[in-house]
Amino acid sequence: MQPYELSLTEAADAIRARQLSPVELADSVLERIAQTEPHLHAYATVTAERTRRAAREGEHDIAAGRYRGPLHGIPMGVKDLIDVAGVATTAGSRVRADHRAQTDSTVAARLTRAGAVLLGKTHTHEFAYGLTTPQTRNAWDTGRVAGGSSGGSAVAVAAGMATFALGTDTGGSIRVPSALNGVVGLKPTYGLLPRHGVTSLSWSLDHVGPITRTVEDAALVLTALAGHDPRDPASLTAPAIDYRPPAAVDLKGLRIGVPRNYYFDHIAPEIEAAVRHAIDQLQALGARLVEVEIPMTRYVQATQWGLMVPEATAYHADTLRTVPELYEADVRILLEAGELMTAGDYLRAQRSRTLMRQEWARMLEDVDLIAAPTVPATAVRVGQETITWADGSVEGVSDAYVRLSAPANITGVPSLSLPVGHDTAGLPIGMQLLGRPLEESVLLRVGHAYEQTQPVRDLARAT
Amino acid sequence: MSAEELTPSEAARWAARGGLLLPADRHAAIAATANHIHSVVAVLRELNLGDTPPAPAYRASQERRDATV
Repeated sequence: MQPYELSLTEAADAIRARQLSPVELADSVLERIAQTEPHLHAYATVTAERTRRAAREGEHDIAAGRYRGPLHGIPMGVKDLIDVAGVATTAGSRVRADHRAQTDSTVAARLTRAGAVLLGKTHTHEFAYGLTTPQTRNAWDTGRVAGGSSGGSAVAVAAGMATFALGTDTGGSIRVPSALNGVVGLKPTYGLLPRHGVTSLSWSLDHVGPITRTVEDAALVLTALAGHDPRDPASLTAPAIDYRPPAAVDLKGLRIGVPRNYYFDHIAPEIEAAVRHAIDQLQALGARLVEVEIPMTRYVQATQWGLMVPEATAYHADTLRTVPELYEADVRILLEAGELMTAGDYLRAQRSRTLMRQEWARMLEDVDLIAAPTVPATAVRVGQETITWADGSVEGVSDAYVRLSAPANITGVPSLSLPVGHDTAGLPIGMQLLGRPLEESVLLRVGHAYEQTQPVRDLARAT
Repeated sequence: MSAEELTPSEAARWAARGGLLLPADRHAAIAATANHIHSVVAVLRELNLGDTPPAPAYRASQERRDATV
């Protein structure tokens, strides 16, 4: 096994035991990037010189007895929407061509404090306003989309080009590419990870979170990044805890909600079969399955759009007036059309969100978590714009990918996506676990228990 | 076209009222996109919102703790 193939947990164990040096690990991952990046295009910038320097410092510190914890010496990618001092945050846009971040975002600073080693900035759909990340290709099939908007991060982790990565999620942008590339993605509770220094798509829906190879890896990153920062007005003051899941796989006493509506509607049969099979595995581990009715589903898309469209337009108001031609066509027209939404519509969406949060809280009194598909379709072919369902209805690809993710953005509940198999084309399938606010530990415990019943997953090797 | 939908010239006027001058060759496409967004969001009018307040939290007491990394 080469160092680039190690999960974060495995690499951390090897580094702590002095069986692997951060320099060996960084060199291995950089070599993997050199081989694979020309096919997959996961990175906007690779900071190889800085990577090697940081890895040498990590090696030196650890040798001197200054071990900082499981992220020390681990190479990682950061979505190109998140500021890292001295590096451009292009947000995948020509609007930001001359950008250079002056200071670290809170999450980047916390990664540095934990000793993680930056590999570079990963591609995002322009300003995170899209679900495909057209610059990047799927890690399992280069004829397929990466998913988005954190497509570069998910592909880098899936293909061994980063041991872990950070993404952002406004309507599924961590979980969608994670599902489509067969890796783990966690959208934490709204406000748990500070967004200071992260370019906004929609203030009231944006989240930052980890993309990793395993659930345990996600727990390690979350532990290093959680914590209050008053510079993000949504930042929570939840006490710091260690999110690492217990080794035990016994899920006895846990009530898992299985949606009877919405999440299994208009979904590829192979995804439904794989997710239901995974849910059966959770039952076999002792969990009790409880059918649940998802509330207010008719208003999910309306609320998501009613919040996101005007907030995104507001963020871009100045540049839309000065340099509109620098935006890609798909993003520009959404920003422009967003100018035409009324304040009344926006407030209705915010009031609908109040109701939806109340209804979800009520539903989550009866169960400890909900298990559901992450996306209704695996990765579509590059250029494909619509999906036709069995009943003949046609849905836009982006609408389909957002559909099952948006409820967690609107309500702020945590959602963990993890791989639960492949379809007959060999493309990964994701299941999401949704929980009560600040109950990430429950999701991580269940996800980790599931993973322990499964064979270790291989890295993606695109064909 | 329903009475709620914007024509291309109306879309241009509304945008101009907000300070955004749209090139003439974009009026039709932007009106179509805006009308589609409107058709999605208009579903919220079915909700009986009663006294329901909007979601954004607002705390008058601002914490003054220093940022921590």
